[in-house]
Amino acid sequence: MKKFLAMLLVLALTVSGLALAEEPAAEEPAEEITTELTGEAGKYIYKDSVSTLATNWNPHTYQTTDDAYPADFLRVGLYSFVFNDALHPIEGKEPYAGYVIVPEMAADMPVDVTEQVKAEHPEFKIPESATKGYAYTIDLNPECVWEDGTPINADTYVYSMKRLLDPQLKNYRATDYYDGDLSIAGAKEYANQGDSAYDGAMEKTVDEFLAAGGKLEDLYVDIDGFWGIKTEDGKGFVSIFDETPIRDPAVEEGQPEDYVSGKYLYDNYLANGTPYEAYQSAYLGTATVYPTGMDFANVGVYKTGEYQITLVLSKSLTGFYLLYGLGGNWIVKEDLYEANLKPTGDTFTSTYNTSVETTSSYGPYKLVNYEADKNMHFVRNENWYGYKDGKHVYVDPEDGETYNMYMTDEIDTQVVAEAATRKLMFLKGLLMGYGLQAEDFASYRNSDYTYFTPGSTIFFLILNGYKDVINEREAAADFDAEKIDLQTMTVLNFRKAVALTYDKEDFAATVSPARSGGYGIIGTAYLFDPETGSRYRDTDQAKQALCNAYSVNPADFASLDEAAASITGYDPVAAKEFYQAAFQDALTAGYITDADNDGICDQTVQIEYAISSASSFMDRTIAYLNEKMAAVTEGTPFAGKVQFVQSAPYGNDWSNKIRAGLSDTVLGGWSGSTFNPFSLTDLYVNPAYAYDAKWFDATKVELTINVAGEELTTTLYNWSDALNGKTITIGEKEYNFGADQADVDTRLNILAAIETTVLGTYDYLPMLQDAGASLLSQQIFHVVEEYNPVMIRGGIQYDRYNYDEAEWKEFVDSQPDGTLSY
Amino acid sequence: MLKYTVQRILLMLMTLLIITCMCFVLVRMLPPVQLPAEDPHTKVILARREAMGYNKPYLVQFGIFLRDIFTRWDWGVSDKLYFGQDVAAIFMDKLPATMIVNIYSILLSIPIGISLGIWAALKKNTIIDHLISTLTMVVISVPSFVYAFLIQYFLSYKWGVFPFLMNSGRNYLDWSMFVSMMPPVLSLSFGVIAGFTRTTRAELTEVLTSEFMLLARTKGLTKGQATVRHALKNCMVVVLPMIFGEFIGIMSGSLIIESIFAVPGVGSLYINSINGRDYNMFMLLTVFYTAVGLSAGIVVDISYGLIDPRIRMGSRK
Repeated sequence: MKKFLAMLLVLALTVSGLALAEEPAAEEPAEEITTELTGEAGKYIYKDSVSTLATNWNPHTYQTTDDAYPADFLRVGLYSFVFNDALHPIEGKEPYAGYVIVPEMAADMPVDVTEQVKAEHPEFKIPESATKGYAYTIDLNPECVWEDGTPINADTYVYSMKRLLDPQLKNYRATDYYDGDLSIAGAKEYANQGDSAYDGAMEKTVDEFLAAGGKLEDLYVDIDGFWGIKTEDGKGFVSIFDETPIRDPAVEEGQPEDYVSGKYLYDNYLANGTPYEAYQSAYLGTATVYPTGMDFANVGVYKTGEYQITLVLSKSLTGFYLLYGLGGNWIVKEDLYEANLKPTGDTFTSTYNTSVETTSSYGPYKLVNYEADKNMHFVRNENWYGYKDGKHVYVDPEDGETYNMYMTDEIDTQVVAEAATRKLMFLKGLLMGYGLQAEDFASYRNSDYTYFTPGSTIFFLILNGYKDVINEREAAADFDAEKIDLQTMTVLNFRKAVALTYDKEDFAATVSPARSGGYGIIGTAYLFDPETGSRYRDTDQAKQALCNAYSVNPADFASLDEAAASITGYDPVAAKEFYQAAFQDALTAGYITDADNDGICDQTVQIEYAISSASSFMDRTIAYLNEKMAAVTEGTPFAGKVQFVQSAPYGNDWSNKIRAGLSDTVLGGWSGSTFNPFSLTDLYVNPAYAYDAKWFDATKVELTINVAGEELTTTLYNWSDALNGKTITIGEKEYNFGADQADVDTRLNILAAIETTVLGTYDYLPMLQDAGASLLSQQIFHVVEEYNPVMIRGGIQYDRYNYDEAEWKEFVDSQPDGTLSY
Repeated sequence: MLKYTVQRILLMLMTLLIITCMCFVLVRMLPPVQLPAEDPHTKVILARREAMGYNKPYLVQFGIFLRDIFTRWDWGVSDKLYFGQDVAAIFMDKLPATMIVNIYSILLSIPIGISLGIWAALKKNTIIDHLISTLTMVVISVPSFVYAFLIQYFLSYKWGVFPFLMNSGRNYLDWSMFVSMMPPVLSLSFGVIAGFTRTTRAELTEVLTSEFMLLARTKGLTKGQATVRHALKNCMVVVLPMIFGEFIGIMSGSLIIESIFAVPGVGSLYINSINGRDYNMFMLLTVFYTAVGLSAGIVVDISYGLIDPRIRMGSRK
């Protein structure tokens, strides 16, 4: 026994020793960090929680929003947004009703030097006709330094961009500087050296392509889109002359077409005279080959002074969107960056910005502790220029006093995985905020400390309309056509009825109380003019679009506003009529039967709801859909005969199932840049995104819009392209309705017309407007209570404290049971 | 015995290699994570995969994997969960937290569990035995995360005895850190205590009714002497391997307990590496835990011989 105990002790000590010995000295935090209140007088600590902690906040490689978390503390952009106040007035606007863009890491506003650069640097290929918007010099703020005092100058910017775009590094964020609005000249060519990229469908027949001067050698087959395969190196396109066999995993090996090539697909399916000749315009296109050996001097970022860079763009960008694009930053600290590059296969991997030692801040805070999946701790970066320049101040809207921004001294971020734990900690004063869960709304909905923040996503029910696949599903041997029907859901009147069956606000209150009802395909967060903060949803065009979609006649109301406000999406009377009509339509089409002529459908219309995984949210949603459907169909031929059923858990494959018509509905959503609602149209007309691409062809649906007194008719797809800056031809005339190309009213008219048309398909039934609700700690307050789509509520630079840590501890301890009441 | 041990170790290494090879090939055969077709970043990810050799034949990839380990002790870098970071360093960084919490849990559980088991066995068929046995069954039946929430609610929220989360840092011998580890330690201990109690009670009950115990008493030993010197020693033949098993298990961590109390351990690494298709991380964990599991088998087998010299492994007789 003694031996046993001795052995046990030795083992325990050995393992303990091992555990302690594993501790890398370099990772030793400055001090132990506890979640308890510190009680330090005169100190303000922002106590935050996340469910997933950042693991890689390298500005060149980070991928997720979790990884972007430290950026607000460690980095600042060339330009930033501040509220309009007495120090930053906007004529005609109340304080804190708008915002002002100010230089941050830049010393001044960018200066347009398009003409000069065009003359001096032909390598950047600025169009001859361009006179502005392509090249800017930016004076850099000479006070900017890294946290150790190392200066940040023009060399830092040029070096960092060179590394960001380095073709060997294959940095994830490189595309942000050539595929977005802010597209730097030569960046794409430099980063993709030796590679090729598909330009997209040519949208012409082969004959038209050749007639326009194209060559067959330049044509590629979109094998991913057309055949659902990719090459071994992951490319989704190959030359029409490429004979390399590519395995088709959908075909058993040894069977015909188990391997196909680009040439085979073209010769047998897409060339003139083949069965799919009509698809030439969609699945044939050109590709760009990027030659190797390109010099960085051909990339549009170069030094023009110790503290000045020149930025050359491949497409023009001006005003708000330029400054917004420069609100981020790409700089890295050269010595740290180089020290943390490691060769991996044929590429490099960087560990820059993955720990305290590999991070250097140039923002208001610096990282002093990082423990993966556990904690991040930031303290003031005393070398940040913003604490000394006298510019980071604001005037309080309540007391008119001037305050310094960034009252917070430290930020402690803990990983708290469980919402229940977060709530308990919040009630003990250990966290600054708590995101309300569905079960919390009854208690906290009306709390003075509850803040609602609209999201950018509209969640809609996608309704399957893919008749071919639905017919195939019904033809399956195990399908009981006597009892179940799938086809009726494709009947237009049935879809209209479903659209009027649900009260959107009631649905939101039941399944997701933080959210509200959704009515259009573009949510309330989208601004059509970010400079004035004007929202699309508030425009007459948007209101009229909703009235059109929900058959509300504005003439029946005192105003268009009232008409739009009356829409709930719920009209049981009209819905019943549509169900009645749908019954006749479905009978006529032979989708359903009524053998006993009792006026009741013999089959149950079954609508499969695709779930990614089982959850209480899914259960609530499906239960609600069925309950309200039963209520509204009462007294119609579909009484008790429409059933939403939950699918097997499809995981990430749910969207493929929906797109392929193999599942019938789901609550899905899109979100985009809240400053550009016009770009959302692409999501509904572009087959690469649209959920209904297999049964709704936006290149075939025509839409007539009155533009400046002229009736213009073209396809929905073309309207969307034109709205987003592409030149289209209608008749003999070219049109472009992109930003800066057409007046805003015309653009709004087009956007509203597209929205009306998309809603009119009844493929998308808007249900929820995304939003979040959270409680704010009594320790702090927002300087501005109202939500602003651009500034939100100001962020950490505007948050002020009611109590320092000592006062807060005392306050919490004085509460009954030490528990705060909200 | 030495020959037997060497044989077992060689066999273990061969088994380890086969399992490693199988896992490597199978995990690489999984379809890669789908990437959004129109996302410009997709191209970058595909290019990285290509550059990192993911499109080479599986056996070539396995060869590269083994070569890097044997020549440079390089297990690769994480390309999903901890982008770009050395997977071995991440694992070793997180292992101590898991181990220390589990060690405390076992150190707490062994004396309590065995004592309760002995008490129940000695008081067999009395109210104490029934009470302990019933409680044991209840505790074993309830998952540990239930205790975790109860402990968090009562001890941390209501009574404020312990902090909600484990402290950050690695000063594991610090008192404040020790206190902050108590909620996860207690949550993990309930099940282990119940396991020890049940096993000890069952074994000791059986041993106490053996004829040699009667002989011991007739020799004049008191009940306590007979129990400690003879019965307990015999029942340890079963209990001790169980203790070893628990010690081996300390390295695997607990996904839920670590998550609830923010223990920065390895509990979630395995599942996350599979879900995230983080091949290098997955392979490191697979090799490590397979090696640990196989080693545990050998240690437990050999421990029988240490506890009871009559047990000899590998004997040809």
